[in-house]
Amino acid sequence: MKNKRFAIVLDTRRCIDCKACTVACKAENSVPLGRDNYRNWVTEEPLRGSYPNLGQNFAPGQCMQCANTPCNRVCPTRATGVNPDGIVFVEVKKCIGCKYCMTACPYNARYYNEETEAVDKCTFCSHRVYQGQIPACVETCPTKVRVFGDLNDPGSEVSRLLAKYPTRVMKPEMGTKPYLFYII
Amino acid sequence: MPTIAKRPGELLWFALLGAGMIAGAAAVVTVLIKGHGEVYNLTREIPWGILIATYVFFVVSSTGLCLVSSLGDVWGFEKFTVIGRRGHLVAILTLLTGFGTIAMELNHPLRLALYAIISPNFQSPIWWMGTLYGFYMCCLIVEFTSLMRGWTRTAFISGLAGFFAAITAHSNLGAVFGLLEARHFWYGSFLPIYFIVSALASGAALTALIVYFNHKARHIDLSPQYKEFMYTMGKLQALFLGILLFFVIWKLIPGLYGQPPEKYEATMALLTGPLAFNFWFFEMALGILIPLAIVANRRTRTVFGVMLASLLSTIGIFFMRYDLVIAGQMVPMREAEGSPSLLSYVPSVAEIAIVVGALATCLFLYTMAEKFFDLEGGHRH
Repeated sequence: MKNKRFAIVLDTRRCIDCKACTVACKAENSVPLGRDNYRNWVTEEPLRGSYPNLGQNFAPGQCMQCANTPCNRVCPTRATGVNPDGIVFVEVKKCIGCKYCMTACPYNARYYNEETEAVDKCTFCSHRVYQGQIPACVETCPTKVRVFGDLNDPGSEVSRLLAKYPTRVMKPEMGTKPYLFYII
Repeated sequence: MPTIAKRPGELLWFALLGAGMIAGAAAVVTVLIKGHGEVYNLTREIPWGILIATYVFFVVSSTGLCLVSSLGDVWGFEKFTVIGRRGHLVAILTLLTGFGTIAMELNHPLRLALYAIISPNFQSPIWWMGTLYGFYMCCLIVEFTSLMRGWTRTAFISGLAGFFAAITAHSNLGAVFGLLEARHFWYGSFLPIYFIVSALASGAALTALIVYFNHKARHIDLSPQYKEFMYTMGKLQALFLGILLFFVIWKLIPGLYGQPPEKYEATMALLTGPLAFNFWFFEMALGILIPLAIVANRRTRTVFGVMLASLLSTIGIFFMRYDLVIAGQMVPMREAEGSPSLLSYVPSVAEIAIVVGALATCLFLYTMAEKFFDLEGGHRH
């Protein structure tokens, strides 16, 4: 969509590792069963402290919809592309299954879907977003970890959160300029 | 067409190759029926396995053979004209085998042929890999035909083009790995250069093997000219292996110095981790140190010694490819509590069968080519 820049802001302090996002994503996007097949995930960070004073954080993640896309760069047939709104997509019929994009992604956000016979990844549920809905993982999260919206709209909740809180991105040293922001 | 007398070991040779090719074909059929996911041991984290390594091995061989063989026809070193026809022919065959192997690794090789043309991405090293190797293949075919027909001028021009195409294509293959910023073990300008150096070592070894076994199989004694050629190959092999050793050491040092994240873990996987046996035994001992000791010593640089060194270094170079491809992917891109610090990959039976099949097919094609082409001619005896 023109003049939009979609992003997700995450408040990981709210994540309870219920993995409802992963399940919702699999159901919404017909992700096949199997260890390697998922579009989004919840990473468990190391335990802090010692018994009985323990703490643990969880970091949900998915394709970071990078502004500087290594996956897009390496794809020999331009099966991977980026929409004007920043959503990174895979065009199934052009994918040759070389898996170069999988080795290029520093976030391990891609997998090979044996059913569609193409590399698959999170698209921010673009089919929903373009109909005015929000991504399935955002909608289903019981503690509202994720907030989805348009960064080009200064009044959107994502813009407001980014202005209000300091945030970080994953692997900034890679220079990929991700559009998933984690509130510190 | 020259006629070659039936040799006692020929039946056994073809039986062995046939068994290898049947194993490979069975694996290919299984993959076509069941799909890659079911048959290959590749994962989301390690999507490139032994077939990519084998592809690299074959195209390294092709590049090396082309570079070494063109020393005679292109660069005017008289001694090397004896290997011109054979070297270029085997360069074509190893390249074809490499293409076949990568076709089995790609999920849609046919789509590649179509969309690489109608939807090319000029930024992609894999796109350039296909294009440059395609051009290289054309150069090889023209050069081989010219050598067979005695068209010296065309042979020179296509040989010169082929020489540069080989260097460009092969250094670009290094760049397929070297341009992945996410993979610290591969990233940088080192791999494109290293690939060329290892190709020279590979090409010198294979050239010596071709000469030795071709005479052995025909029960022909090596003529003084071929003997002299083998000694020269031994000296060249010593030079190339020495440079390769230097490169391997310099590949390791930046991975250790300052313990750079991810590069260090991958380097340690080679030195003391799951790839340590491959590295120390196959790559270093069999691949470089023992052959180097053989060919560097004047007393052991005999015809047999050069062949043995070449055989060992060829085996070592195969493991070098495998270790490079796997080590680059072993460090997880996303760490979670309880996840392994290094990922593991063991090739499946089908993957190994395809590798065996590819090798057998390449050797079969070469054996048949020896029967159909006059590979001895075209040079002064």
